[in-house]
Amino acid sequence: MRNKATLFGAAVIAAGALLLTGCSSASDEGADSADGPITLEYWAWGTSQQPLVDAWNASHPDLQVTRTDAGGGTDSSAKLLTATRAGNAPDVALIEFNTLPAMIVGDVVAEITDYTGDARDAFTESVWGLTSFNDATYGVPQDVGPMALLYNQARLTELGIELPTTWAEFADAAVAVRSADPEAYLATFAPGEFGGFAGLAQQAGAEWWSVDGDTWSVGIDSEASLEVADYWQDLIDRDAVLAEPLLTPEWNSKLNEGNILTWPSALWAPGVIYGVAEAQAGDWAIAPLPQWEEGNSDVAFQGGSAIAVTTSSEHQEAAAEFALWMNTSEEAARIQIEAGQYPASIVGQELTLESDPPLLMPQQTDYWEVASKIAANTIPDISWGPNVNVASSAFQDAAAAAITNGTPLRDALVETQKVVVEDMKTTGFDVAEN
Amino acid sequence: MSTEKLQTDAASMLVEGADPPQNRRRRRRLAPYVFLTPAMLLFVAFLAVPIVYSVYLSLRGYRLTGGGAFGRRRQVFVGADNYVSTFTEPEFVAGFTRLAIYGVIAIPLTLGLALLFALLLDLPRAKATRFSRTAIFIPYAVPGVVATLLWGFLYLPSTSPFSFISEELGWGTIPFLEGSMLFAAIANIAIWSGVGFNMIIIYTSLRGIPSDLYEAARLDGASEWQIARQIKIPLVAPALVLTGIFSLIGTLQLYGEPTTLRPMTPEVSQTWVPLMKIYRDAFVRDDLPLAAASSVVLALGTLLVSLLVLRLVQKRAFGDDS
Repeated sequence: MRNKATLFGAAVIAAGALLLTGCSSASDEGADSADGPITLEYWAWGTSQQPLVDAWNASHPDLQVTRTDAGGGTDSSAKLLTATRAGNAPDVALIEFNTLPAMIVGDVVAEITDYTGDARDAFTESVWGLTSFNDATYGVPQDVGPMALLYNQARLTELGIELPTTWAEFADAAVAVRSADPEAYLATFAPGEFGGFAGLAQQAGAEWWSVDGDTWSVGIDSEASLEVADYWQDLIDRDAVLAEPLLTPEWNSKLNEGNILTWPSALWAPGVIYGVAEAQAGDWAIAPLPQWEEGNSDVAFQGGSAIAVTTSSEHQEAAAEFALWMNTSEEAARIQIEAGQYPASIVGQELTLESDPPLLMPQQTDYWEVASKIAANTIPDISWGPNVNVASSAFQDAAAAAITNGTPLRDALVETQKVVVEDMKTTGFDVAEN
Repeated sequence: MSTEKLQTDAASMLVEGADPPQNRRRRRRLAPYVFLTPAMLLFVAFLAVPIVYSVYLSLRGYRLTGGGAFGRRRQVFVGADNYVSTFTEPEFVAGFTRLAIYGVIAIPLTLGLALLFALLLDLPRAKATRFSRTAIFIPYAVPGVVATLLWGFLYLPSTSPFSFISEELGWGTIPFLEGSMLFAAIANIAIWSGVGFNMIIIYTSLRGIPSDLYEAARLDGASEWQIARQIKIPLVAPALVLTGIFSLIGTLQLYGEPTTLRPMTPEVSQTWVPLMKIYRDAFVRDDLPLAAASSVVLALGTLLVSLLVLRLVQKRAFGDDS
């Protein structure tokens, strides 16, 4: 009996010891030796990140960076919020432009105006405005996603459809594609693509969030947005576009069969299509996004991200130095271009003109010229609100419900507006009444 | 006599050394607590503390401090605001309605099939019982997400073999994931996974019934069907109640199947079931306190429903103690 009790006691102590070592080793991870090289933790997703970090580490032995992939834009920003509250957030993180205000309000990102100095000259005014608010800088832009039309040139020529330059022509082309080939669709309306729809609404003149002093205005159900919703609703009603989620196995198989002919998206899109339809390399090309009015060329951004320094970082100045190198140096820009990103920096954008076209369109030798013209015509002063995550989830559900139940998309926008305004008011923001 | 007692005392002194009876008695009193300690530690650390923290968190909320357009969201006390939000959120209540429809399909079918298979396996002349038991149990061993992905591909029009066959026959694709068929589709995944586990519980309970009851019944001329209906089923009623409560709790906590199917169909929203709404609030909307409040409501509701069901079947299943 005594032996069994002793054995049991020993087992409890062993278990307790294991638990304690687990706790203490976790707390040791963050500490660096005072005299040795500083190691920064960096959370970033995307194929360009590891080569960029490797290049930095090779040339900066005293300031090493360890990169972790914490998931895509939405996932990693959710993790950053909880990690900041738990006290184990990284030093630097990649954050999408539209999530940056929410990160500022959530106390995740630190103000780095003092460390960025004249870095603002490395970017155009409108790009720098994506990370600076009221003269306070919260991040350094890394890549931008000016919206463009990615199209399967080979298939469109095969079906005898001319590339549309206005949305009216786009609608006609969509109908023509359906009659030319009942299996094919010109485009997809994906209810989950909040960023894409926001970009299209902004191109039409909508301002989804704007701030005047201390008061926010939310314009998700403004006339311009509702018109865009009605446009796509009309196409869905006529079965001229496919209404289903993007990049699912279902969609990918349709894409590979040549039954999805265009993707109105952004300059980072070729990499994505190449990833799911490698066999179609040489068939695709890029062109400016259709316009509402003939002769215009404004487009909004879809996606794009910045590197920000977190409030939890103990080496903010060093982290800012890393962010600046990653997004303004020539060496980094070359790696970005190779990985399919469109650099935010002026030097990066100029370098693109010397590069080969992306793997998806080796035949489009003037790809970068077209891209640079598109990037030069982006709408300035696009601002995102402090609860984009709320808007995104509300929009996704409302749009999906609209498609399933056959209710108009404009109702989805009205619903989203309601949810967003209510959430901002509950949190305590000052929201102007429409 | 006295020498014997002396010897016994001396002998016991030698054996125990400096271990008098009082210590032995104390050890016997302490022994149960020593055995319980590891379990108690784990219970407190991983169950009690999180529950208390959730209740605490449900009374807090993130509000703007610092003013201006870019103030900071900080955690403050908000009282019952989160509970009011939970009960007035139409999606939360709608989630329960969907659970009810799903439950009406899933629970009777899971338990019914489990009972049927258990009874069949218990028949005296049943063949290949070992193989059948394993075959019926194997789906339970498939992790939930994997099972849902598997079935998802079997449902999606472009990858489904069933749709392929029906298209070849000229009937178009089968709309598994659309409209009201969606409930049946999700219930199917749960039934497929759950029948094995429930069957094992009922089967074990059946094996515990003394066989003289069957002998007596057969002597009286009862058929296998009558034996099943009038002897076996009433006697496994406790096992049926057990599996029933498990299934009910499992239904109220439905999460894995709809979440994994969500990327495949626009019919499943982010708030399709209550637990999905809780996840969305916690991690997409960054509103942990609201999620905590909704979780407390869900947990209390589950507890209430379970107690109610137990109270209802108490007399029937466990017999009158009169």
